[in-house]
Amino acid sequence: MSVLGKIFTWWDGATIGTLLNSWRTGEQVGTDAQGNRYFRARKTPAGTNERRWVLYAGANDASRVPPEWHGWLHGHFVDVPESLLPPAKIWEVEYTPNATGTLGAYRPQGALERGGRRAGASGDYESWTPDS
Amino acid sequence: MPKVTVDGQEIEVPAGATVLQACELAGKEIPRFCYHERLSIAGNCRMCLVEVKPGPPKPQASCALPAADGQEIRTDTPMVKTAREGVMEFLLINHPLDCPICDQGGECDLQDQSVAYGRGGSRYGRENKRAVTEKNMGPLIKTIMTRCIHCTRCVRFSEEIAGVDEIGALYRGEDMQITTYLERAATHELSANVIDLCPVGALTSRPYAFEARPWELKKTLSIDVSDAVGANIRLDSRGREVMRALPRINDDVNEEWLSDKGRYMVDGLTRRRLDKVWIRKSGKLAEASWDQAFKAIAAAKPGKNIAAIAGDLVDCETMFAAKALLGAMGSTLLEGRQTGMDYDVSNMAAVAFNSTFAGIETADAILIVGSHVRWEAALVNARLRKAVKHGAKVFVVGPEWETTYPATFLGEDVGVLGKLPKDVSDAFKGAERPAIILGGAALAKGALAPALAFADKFGLVNDGWNGFNVLHMAASRMGGLMLGYAQAGGIADIAAAKPKVLLSLGADEVDYSAFDGVLKVYIGHHGDKGAHAADIILPAASYAEKDGTYVNTEGRVQYAEKAVFAPGDAREDWTILRALADALGVSVGFDSFADLQGAMFAAVPALGEEGLADLGALPKGDAKAKADGVITYPIKDFYLTNPIARASAVMQQCSAELLHGDDLAEAAE
Ligand code: SF4
Ligand code: FES
Repeated sequence: MSVLGKIFTWWDGATIGTLLNSWRTGEQVGTDAQGNRYFRARKTPAGTNERRWVLYAGANDASRVPPEWHGWLHGHFVDVPESLLPPAKIWEVEYTPNATGTLGAYRPQGALERGGRRAGASGDYESWTPDS
Repeated sequence: MPKVTVDGQEIEVPAGATVLQACELAGKEIPRFCYHERLSIAGNCRMCLVEVKPGPPKPQASCALPAADGQEIRTDTPMVKTAREGVMEFLLINHPLDCPICDQGGECDLQDQSVAYGRGGSRYGRENKRAVTEKNMGPLIKTIMTRCIHCTRCVRFSEEIAGVDEIGALYRGEDMQITTYLERAATHELSANVIDLCPVGALTSRPYAFEARPWELKKTLSIDVSDAVGANIRLDSRGREVMRALPRINDDVNEEWLSDKGRYMVDGLTRRRLDKVWIRKSGKLAEASWDQAFKAIAAAKPGKNIAAIAGDLVDCETMFAAKALLGAMGSTLLEGRQTGMDYDVSNMAAVAFNSTFAGIETADAILIVGSHVRWEAALVNARLRKAVKHGAKVFVVGPEWETTYPATFLGEDVGVLGKLPKDVSDAFKGAERPAIILGGAALAKGALAPALAFADKFGLVNDGWNGFNVLHMAASRMGGLMLGYAQAGGIADIAAAKPKVLLSLGADEVDYSAFDGVLKVYIGHHGDKGAHAADIILPAASYAEKDGTYVNTEGRVQYAEKAVFAPGDAREDWTILRALADALGVSVGFDSFADLQGAMFAAVPALGEEGLADLGALPKGDAKAKADGVITYPIKDFYLTNPIARASAVMQQCSAELLHGDDLAEAAE
């Protein structure tokens, strides 16, 4: 991403301010498979919860956080996921972010993007044409 | 009349009633499987057990026990309760637990009665269930014979009502199986009624298999238009589609039966539908808008040169709306007899079924002239069979067809009417309730006048009895005649008048070659002969898609309700005619369906009253009237007589397999 882009946009990755703040007050605890980086505050005032945050590699889309890191971000786990979750099983599929609004989005049967063909339903009829 | 006590309540029952009927009169529900009001008594399911004193100290089958004076009947004792539970338990030993996948589910007598009278559990859980192979009963009836409980209703129906020995039972006891003769398809015209009769899901409807559940269907009361009988039906629809048609009970018309065509042509309502406006441009039909179509008709400047031909399926309202439109234009060129018949309609009684369907059962000598009753009105044929069972003699003039009762064929020429063989005239002279049934084929040969002479000669009309009957084939015919859809010379008069515009109200049997150069406007619902010949097509509603009045061949006025909406751009017929009146710059005097009906009732008061219309007295016959010519029946294929049936895949299959099945088999060899 160009420097100007970094300065004037906010939707792809962290802004300059957030980057500065993360570097100044946070420490990185890990990254996930997509390259998102996870941070926590270096100092936690007594009586408050630890601050945790994520810097996205790419679009700022909260659904890109996989479930194990989601748990960590929201304070369900004390420690980073690698340290307490069992290793992924071979049958587990890779996490995919929400595809709504993208080409990969789910289209119901009969949607034009899926060819417009659907199963028959009551009320369907066949209209007459002069050559039939 | 015997007096009996039912659960302590004393009632008087008609002589000859059974204990079951006595209980019903007393308002007690008796569960039953094999008993049916319109069939003979079999007494083989044992579900109707009650306690009767005097008598042996055991429960008795009430359906087969005559009610006698002084009987004390109990339906609420522990003995009756355990007897019912026991019968239910026995029946369920072999009945599969199919309910979730069974089409009868929700309208199954076995289901309902096991809930109401069953034990709630079985002691035969470890017993293996009997399994029976599926039988072939043709394209309409699907069999799952493992479910059969051997009530034999289907067997009795085929034998007694339909009059064909097609379904029977093989083997005995637990091994008993219901099957068709040599596993051939059931081929008679009332075959599908066994589906309604079967109290379980052993016989279900094949075209409707797994389509819908009874509780998700909207039920609409309607009238069957597949013939001129006007059978009372119920259209079951889901969303915009009619899923099935079932008979309603009307003892005067269809009892509780329905012909296979009326029942199964409904799938034709979703095929070959006219759903947009078409205009012919340089020889080819092209899609257009309503506006363009109305402009094109107005541009033809018909003035009073406009004519209308009504098809076989239209309702009286449509015909009246067209008549009002033509009247406003100054024309009376109306005709409904599409095939060119021109019999005299100055007296409506002379073209109606005066004995009524229920009455014809009591006739004792019947002469059928030029009518293939089995195909033209299957339900009337069932009535004729009853008459014969009561001792009536039946004679037929016309080519031979397979009657379901003994009948004598007198040759194919209508001329026979003037010189009946001696035994026939003797039979009619001796008869108390003689009747004649005149079919369309006879009317076409000019047999109306000689038939009236015959009526005079043999006293067909005597006190309380009118034996003069005309059996029409089109649902719209009687209504059309009452509304004046008849020219003295038939359709030839219309062609001779050279109209500029011809409105065809779903007329698909007309020979349009006589109307070359006329702007033909087809207002109908199916793409059939009429649509192919038309210059402008205006899509309209079928009988299921509009309210309407129909008059059956007896002159019985009946109302049908709208079940679903017409597809696409199609509109109800009267709205099209109303809009056309605006386009032609005339006023027809109605703006709503209620207005239209009001105007129609004012013009023809008989249509305003449900039930038999008073058609007046039969005219005197002319003793010198003669007719001759060989009769040819107009119906060549029972299953394909109207545009809806022709579009129906089920009817096409029936025609191919049941009527031309032998040809198919030969071709395959
Ligand atoms: S098939 Fe149905 S109607 Fe026929 S005997 Fe079996 S249960 Fe009765
Ligand atoms: S109803 Fe009486 S035995 Fe079946």
